[in-house]
Amino acid sequence: MRSREPESDAALMRAFSRRDVRAADTLFERFASRIYGLGIVMLGNEAAAQDLVQDTFVKVWRNAERYDTSRGRLETWVLLVARSLAIDSLRRRVLEARSLEATGRPHESDPAPGPDEVAATRDMTERARRAMGTLSGEQRAALELAYFGGKTSAEVAELEGIPLGTAKTRIRTALLRLREALEEHRDVDV
Amino acid sequence: VTSTCDEARALLPEHLLGTLEEEADEGVRRHLRGCASCRAEMAALGEGIATFARAAHDRPPPDGLKDRVMTVLGEEWREQPVAIPAAGGRARLAWAAAAAAAVLVAALAWGGVQTRRASVAAADAGSYRNLLEVLGGEEFRLGELSSEGPDRLEGSVVLYDSHVDQSWVVVLVRAPGMFGTATATLEADDGRSIEMRPLEFGETGSAATWWVGPNDLRAYDHVEIARPDGTLLAATAIVPA
Repeated sequence: MRSREPESDAALMRAFSRRDVRAADTLFERFASRIYGLGIVMLGNEAAAQDLVQDTFVKVWRNAERYDTSRGRLETWVLLVARSLAIDSLRRRVLEARSLEATGRPHESDPAPGPDEVAATRDMTERARRAMGTLSGEQRAALELAYFGGKTSAEVAELEGIPLGTAKTRIRTALLRLREALEEHRDVDV
Repeated sequence: VTSTCDEARALLPEHLLGTLEEEADEGVRRHLRGCASCRAEMAALGEGIATFARAAHDRPPPDGLKDRVMTVLGEEWREQPVAIPAAGGRARLAWAAAAAAAVLVAALAWGGVQTRRASVAAADAGSYRNLLEVLGGEEFRLGELSSEGPDRLEGSVVLYDSHVDQSWVVVLVRAPGMFGTATATLEADDGRSIEMRPLEFGETGSAATWWVGPNDLRAYDHVEIARPDGTLLAATAIVPA
């Protein structure tokens, strides 16, 4: 499935800003799983992950009128709002950073898979995971530190023991490679 | 200061992830405003983040979380007043102009109801254009309400659409012999709707309602007037003045 049209994102956010329940429902269906997963990975427990979902939707509503389609997709904007809240939460709690491997295992209490309409989403997730497989270990590590850890490029460089320019290049290349790989997998699967 | 594309692109990931110092971040923002190719790269990086998110942290939320979020949003919506631009500067001017225009346009529309509705609306197209220049909005649109029979009703709709400031709609109706209330709803073809304050008919059979909000009203193209039980009294398309 191609990315949604910016106009539909804009219309959705306009509806959400004026307290439209259907828009809130649509946003939840589109983004809650990734925000919840982000909470599990970054904050390490279900209660905190659920709080993150709730806080993200409230913040997205409060800032709905600031969403600008010319600056990127709604999906990215919402995810970065959630990530920012998660980092704030981590800083407040002064928790140790958790690695993706340590917390990424399936959780026993995960509900059963949903109805048929989640198949397309699952397919997209599978493509994304295959795209992740195209990254080198160094690229992935740099991206995880920047994304989950909220580290600057300088901090990534220090943690990885690499020059600053290399850290910047790894993060940028990883993101661009992910996007390209997703397109390639999409073309192959179509 | 970020002046070249190479310099900006080196900073785009951190700009996107929010880890740049304020000064550097402002430099990137300034560069992006004038550089389409760097904006395209930022969009590509954003898609990379979305892909990463799908792969790394897509987990079905537990049962009950949706209800919880919707409940909290409902509480938030009840507690927060409908946003009104802060008094002062451009916002205050826009409100004053919108209020003045509302009165003027409503007067024009009401005149139309009483006499030559369509011809007045057409003749005043120039007035609407002048108002539009003053207000800086997108367009004025008009509708004419008319129904025959026991619930005879006539009236006008004036819509001012602004994508940057407040948009508004005024509905004026007259229905001799009608008492009580009626609903006035602004509707879009995609099913969205905005319900205005109820029309309250007085002894003269006249009633008015309006709506003001921060919405882009492009998609809204008709208005329906109905009894509280849902019985349709009149409907009109709203078309550019």
